[in-house]
Amino acid sequence: MDVHYLLQLVLNGLFVGAFYGLVALGYSMVYGIIKLLNFAHGDIYMLGAFAGYTMLTIGAGALGGGSIVALVVILVIAMVLTGTVGLVLERVAYRPLRSAPRLSVLITAVGASFALEYGVAVGYGPNPRVYPVGFGNGAVDIFGARLTYAQLFMMLVALGLMIGLDMFIRRTRSGRAMRAISQDPKACLLMGINVDNVISRTFFIGSALAGAAGVMAGAYYGKVDFLMGFIIGLKAFTAAVIGGIGNLRGAVLGAIVLGLLESFGTALLGSEWRDVFAFGFLILFLTVRPTGLLGERVTERV
Amino acid sequence: MMSTTRIGAVAAAAGVVLALASCGGGGITNSGSGGGGDTKGDIILGMATPLSGSSAAIGPYMKNGAQLAVNEINDKGGVLGRKLKLVVEDEACDPKTAAAAAAKLVTEGTMVSVGGYCSSATLPTLSIFGKANIPMIIPAANSNDLLKGNNKNVFLLNGTGAQQAQAAVDFMKKSGAKAVALVDDNTSYSKDITTRTAEDAKGDASLKIATQQSVTAGESDYSAAVTAIMRANSDFVYWTGYYQEGGLIIKQLKAAGYKGKIMVADGSVDKQLITIAGQDNAQGVYATMTQTPQTIPGGDGWIAKYKAAFNADPGPYSTQSYDAVRVAAEAIKNAGSTDGTKVIKALEDINGFKIFSGNLKFTPEHTLTEGGFDILVVKGDQFVLNK
Repeated sequence: MDVHYLLQLVLNGLFVGAFYGLVALGYSMVYGIIKLLNFAHGDIYMLGAFAGYTMLTIGAGALGGGSIVALVVILVIAMVLTGTVGLVLERVAYRPLRSAPRLSVLITAVGASFALEYGVAVGYGPNPRVYPVGFGNGAVDIFGARLTYAQLFMMLVALGLMIGLDMFIRRTRSGRAMRAISQDPKACLLMGINVDNVISRTFFIGSALAGAAGVMAGAYYGKVDFLMGFIIGLKAFTAAVIGGIGNLRGAVLGAIVLGLLESFGTALLGSEWRDVFAFGFLILFLTVRPTGLLGERVTERV
Repeated sequence: MMSTTRIGAVAAAAGVVLALASCGGGGITNSGSGGGGDTKGDIILGMATPLSGSSAAIGPYMKNGAQLAVNEINDKGGVLGRKLKLVVEDEACDPKTAAAAAAKLVTEGTMVSVGGYCSSATLPTLSIFGKANIPMIIPAANSNDLLKGNNKNVFLLNGTGAQQAQAAVDFMKKSGAKAVALVDDNTSYSKDITTRTAEDAKGDASLKIATQQSVTAGESDYSAAVTAIMRANSDFVYWTGYYQEGGLIIKQLKAAGYKGKIMVADGSVDKQLITIAGQDNAQGVYATMTQTPQTIPGGDGWIAKYKAAFNADPGPYSTQSYDAVRVAAEAIKNAGSTDGTKVIKALEDINGFKIFSGNLKFTPEHTLTEGGFDILVVKGDQFVLNK
């Protein structure tokens, strides 16, 4: 195999991995703090894509068409919106069940997922919508491999958001509170930390990141539909498990590993094997190394 | 997936059995008054077509096309002195939904079925209509899988996958393609065309199939397939799936710097393909397509009639659905009855009845003798006949 082909596969993997990563972070944050697999998380990604679509369609003129600045503004607004939806979701669907058996919350999460999907289907209709912006096909040549400017831009935004989150978790008081709660919520309560607030904040941040990924996917791929969050939700979950669920750097690592596995796996076996490959690795990791690549703490699991 | 489909089909089949049982009860009273089957009331034509889901755009085109024929025939006094009535159910391009829709159409008293768009969704309905001895004139679905069961009641009014593949290969040769990439979405209809195209291309030394890719429908990222196509140095890509994925693949091919020709099969011929791919990217994309009113010589008058009736433009499979109703009416007239067996015989005997694609005569396999595939090309925001 020649170098530029290998490099192209790596770039494909990294690009897809960037999207998986943004969604996987929210999965992992929520799991780390309240041990809940938030199956509605992929649908928050879908909501982000639709929020971006709505703003672009309504405000395209006012924002000066599909310029990068307009897109960034829309990205930020969509993040606030989806973050708020995540917050409300936690307040309405999950908080009342916090002391209930874990299975109840899991079922509620699946219900919330359907509610969001078909709520959007009712509001926007079942047909796909097309983003009214398009990027040119301009690209940079990296040793013969090709990366479009749009892809480069998306990856930089994703990287920026990931670094921002990492700094927030490691350097701020809020971040420290989150890490503390993930270790022992009862002790945190005794130490005077407002646990409910921190959990709300976690949902807000996780959902905002998924919303950002949704807007970016909508702008890059162009097509959005109400079921678009389903597969990526499962893939992000897989990424989180590969990296070690609950571990944020692990989630990003897992996403990149998954993206690369898919990219090389399909190159070897053909594109119809992509999902078989991805979910085969999920099963492999769950049986052989359930704590993932970076997970050390052996906690009890659902 | 496989097992749930089967459960759905079994449940639907069970529904049909129940429905037949109750119909039988009603039939006795009917024959008491009418004498020898139902000879009174409306002649009911059933149509399963996608009104929701990924191919929802097609449903109204088919429904209106069929309704136009029903209106015209009724205005001239109907068939055998009875009025035609069109009953439409949603198949959502989904096998389970389609099986339920077919069962419902049977209970609603369908005498001839004039529906069927997605091949994978039409497959499970064959046996449901077959058990009720209802002839099916399928306007759109055209996978050769539909013929595998040798169902006596199934007639395809659209060119088949084999005919489409032949048209595609002819065009590839004509345009001087050297290395062809075939891409399908792993569904019955799509895979059928790529398999047959690959077989047909074998006969020609100058035409090489460089790569064959199957993608999963419903995803966004097709970079794996695109990279494989670029690596195989293809100069001609033939996509045989539906328009949503088709649009994304065209867009991603262009973003990857692909400069060769692209062609899509009839399932992708929809304006949405151009919207999703982006108008610039879609320019010059070819398509193998059965005749549409826009491409048929003298179709203008028909389009005007359609517009007057529904205040909308006709689309893909409007004409085929219109023809399906006319063929059904012709067969019932010739049979002198709505009895399934007699109508099937009458359909087999039709010779030279004028439909949009030419003079109708079915082959022994119940397909068209003349395929009638055109090559279209994207110009501006629509598909036009390639000249």
